[in-house]
Amino acid sequence: MNPLILTIILMTVFLGTMIVMASSHWLMIWIGFEMNLLAIIPILMKKYSPRAMEASTKYFLTQATASMLLMMAIIINLMHSGQWTITKVFNPTASIIMTLALAMKLGLTPFHFWVPEVTQGISLTSGLILLTWQKLAPMSILYQISPSINLNILLTMAVLSILVGGWGGLNQTQLRKIMAYSSIAHMGWMTAILVYNPTLTMLNMLIYIMMTLTMFMLFIHSSSTTTLSLSHTWNKAPLITTLILITLLSMGGLPPLSGFMPKWMIIQELTKNSSIILPTLMAIMALLNLYFYTRLTYSTSLTMFPSTNNMKMKWQFETKQITLLPPLIIASSLLLPLTPMLSILD
Amino acid sequence: MMTYIVFILSVIFVIGFVGFSSKPSPIYGGLVLIVSGGVGCGIIMNFGGSFLGLMVFLIYLGGMLVVFGYTTAMATEQYPEVWVSNATVMGVFLLGLLMEVMLVLYVLKSEEVGVVFKFSSVGDWAIYDIGNSGVFSEEIMGVAALYRYGAWVVVVTGWSLLVGVLVILEVTRGD
Repeated sequence: MNPLILTIILMTVFLGTMIVMASSHWLMIWIGFEMNLLAIIPILMKKYSPRAMEASTKYFLTQATASMLLMMAIIINLMHSGQWTITKVFNPTASIIMTLALAMKLGLTPFHFWVPEVTQGISLTSGLILLTWQKLAPMSILYQISPSINLNILLTMAVLSILVGGWGGLNQTQLRKIMAYSSIAHMGWMTAILVYNPTLTMLNMLIYIMMTLTMFMLFIHSSSTTTLSLSHTWNKAPLITTLILITLLSMGGLPPLSGFMPKWMIIQELTKNSSIILPTLMAIMALLNLYFYTRLTYSTSLTMFPSTNNMKMKWQFETKQITLLPPLIIASSLLLPLTPMLSILD
Repeated sequence: MMTYIVFILSVIFVIGFVGFSSKPSPIYGGLVLIVSGGVGCGIIMNFGGSFLGLMVFLIYLGGMLVVFGYTTAMATEQYPEVWVSNATVMGVFLLGLLMEVMLVLYVLKSEEVGVVFKFSSVGDWAIYDIGNSGVFSEEIMGVAALYRYGAWVVVVTGWSLLVGVLVILEVTRGD
């Protein structure tokens, strides 16, 4: 793409999310969502193959439907409260419709069907932007309306998302689909705690973005989109295999790594609010996620997959430079000792 | 007849919509849209919204529909589909016409328009009458306010339109 056009379009994606996060007028928030959607379509279509076109079309259709639902909820809110500020959603109908619309934008169950298909059809860099940056805007709106969200609907969607994210990723060998299902499951964890303690939602979002950024950077570095090509990284760059091991285990939520922090805090907050069965179920279903992450580490770093002999001796071409990899690795694996610092938040 | 003018205009409006929803070639759809737009403008003007009607004519019909007409004329085929060209279009058009006629007869028979307009708990929100200040028109003041208090909205929407054009050009470039 022409570099000037690419700059303008990336800037508009950034501006759209910033408008959503910084506005207090519902109409401006809707405009921000539409600007974001409009500008990310050419980024998704960078590859010009029919697969990418189909993925961008699916993304556009689902997000536009969600924006229309959001607009209807905004108008119902306007009709019943007479004002456009975002402090509180005054009508339960408007609140439910708004929650459903934002769940469609995030990819929560039962609106999760677009996430694996869209993520699979686009390039790794576009998938990175899709799964990290695009989650910020809807999550910020959910954070702002969190006092007026219907608990039953949100918890149902959250638990089902964790389930679908775990089970759906079990049979996948394509890395982008694995990351998509992991995103669905993490969104489920984030929205489960939203009504009880929204700060933990933001914490989970932060840690999730770090870990997903790291994973995608590692995939981009080894140019691998399937499990099979990932299993050849021991030959290309042996250090990458160790980093993949650490980051994947962190995504699964294993204790000494920073991915454990959000899960631990969420389970603690849920039990403080006297729900015990729910966090138990959530923790058990997170094991499904952990299973396919460890399967990836098994094929990548723990064993050497059977391959033909010429795959064992590869030419070393010019290595790609990964942006910011060392800080990302540290952020996605070593942040657990900083957990007591969370007490400074309210 | 003047007491029923809004009703008559709205019937013509709906018939126009049926005309282009039955999907003849886009050229004929645009033609019917002009008629519908003008008639809709008449409906608004009957409620006192003269400025809004003028905007519809200028911007919608005179700007957007003209551009649409030119692009369709560039992409049209040699024998565009008319309403009577094949059975499907004709059938849908006649079905829509029949439904509209039956609705009109029902409304005229039962002497109430409540079945068509049901703004149940909104009250008079549906018809926003022009305020009776009498000295100046609020609508022009609204446009002025858009450029002063709403300057940020103008910037954002203008930028969105520019990026929209860039996005469309980028998407249809194909390689």
